[in-house]
Amino acid sequence: MSSGSKQYKAIGEDVWKRTDKVNAELFTLTYGALVVQLIKDYEDYAQVNKQLEKMGYNIGTRLIEDFLARTGLQRCSTFGETAEVVSKVAFKTFLNITPTISFPAPSTIPPAAPLTTTTTTQQQTSSSAIPLPFPSEFILVFDENPLSEFAELPRDAREGGLWFSNVLCGVIRGSLEMVSGFHFFLSDL
Amino acid sequence: MTIFSLYIFDRHCDCIYYQDWHRTRPIRPPSIPNFRPGVHRLPPPLDPLAAQSTVRESIFDRDHAVSNVITTNGARVLSGSTPATNRGYTGLPFDEETKLVYGVVLSMRNMVKKLSGRDETFTSYRTNTYKLHLYETLTGYRFVLLSDPSTDSLRFVLRQIYVGPFVDYVVRNPMVQLDSRTEGIDNDHFRAAVDAHMRGLSMFGT
Repeated sequence: MSSGSKQYKAIGEDVWKRTDKVNAELFTLTYGALVVQLIKDYEDYAQVNKQLEKMGYNIGTRLIEDFLARTGLQRCSTFGETAEVVSKVAFKTFLNITPTISFPAPSTIPPAAPLTTTTTTQQQTSSSAIPLPFPSEFILVFDENPLSEFAELPRDAREGGLWFSNVLCGVIRGSLEMVSGFHFFLSDL
Repeated sequence: MTIFSLYIFDRHCDCIYYQDWHRTRPIRPPSIPNFRPGVHRLPPPLDPLAAQSTVRESIFDRDHAVSNVITTNGARVLSGSTPATNRGYTGLPFDEETKLVYGVVLSMRNMVKKLSGRDETFTSYRTNTYKLHLYETLTGYRFVLLSDPSTDSLRFVLRQIYVGPFVDYVVRNPMVQLDSRTEGIDNDHFRAAVDAHMRGLSMFGT
């Protein structure tokens, strides 16, 4: 696993070097403005979350083609490998971050309590009810999140249940669905 | 050494793009109920007046033939499936042909997988008149190229088309609906880029 993970890290860094970049502040502020506008339009955090996820999904279904074209990776053989690729290659390529992966023990219900205020947690589980081979889910913990660089959620939004970076979950769902995976998002805190 | 035609299929097994270069036999436009917009530049079979104005990019441009038919019939060609409009087209209709191409690719691919494990992929086959090359993406797009039997593997060309024009002008083009099932992905930029790419190849003869 560790040699494979190093290899993915190298691929990710290599592709990142060859990628055209945009100004990070512009990107962050644009995203912030987008979320604020959505909140104004929908006036309901659940709806906003849904819309963000939908946007992300539509991005993801196209972004996966871009990703495959750039990296030329082959199909992952294990779920753990998928997690490595998502974290070390995909997030590195498009956002220059490498979320930490962890695999929760099977059949435990993921904690719903916030880990820390600056951490974004994403979790995917396979939507099937039959017992799955381990690991069947993984958590990506963002040590740094370019989307929320300048964002400090007001108490109202936090209590209202806004998932600020929900677009990322949509992107992951969209892109993995295109290469036939079924995922849904549990929490963004 | 030359290239005959290119087909792109999506994951729903539908042909979403077609372009030809040195085809020896012209293709027949599909029948009316099977006509899908945005796949090819064959003249639409239904409306002979529209067919007249459509610029067909294939070198087997039959526009003049169609207009001849119209004039001899006194501009009253009513149905696209009448023998008159299909004069000069000897092969299968377009939709039948794509189904056959897809069918042969799919069954060859499955057969190869059954014969020797899942890691092996089907890349090409050759007859005495043509060679078929296949490039398959993880997202289910299949690029099929028919070329002269003497060419080497052209899979790299198909990959280049995927990485270059396909990503640039189809995936990143918000006006193109991916996965639409009713429409193809044809647009001027993509067609021009693919054409330029093919003509730039050394095996693209005259």
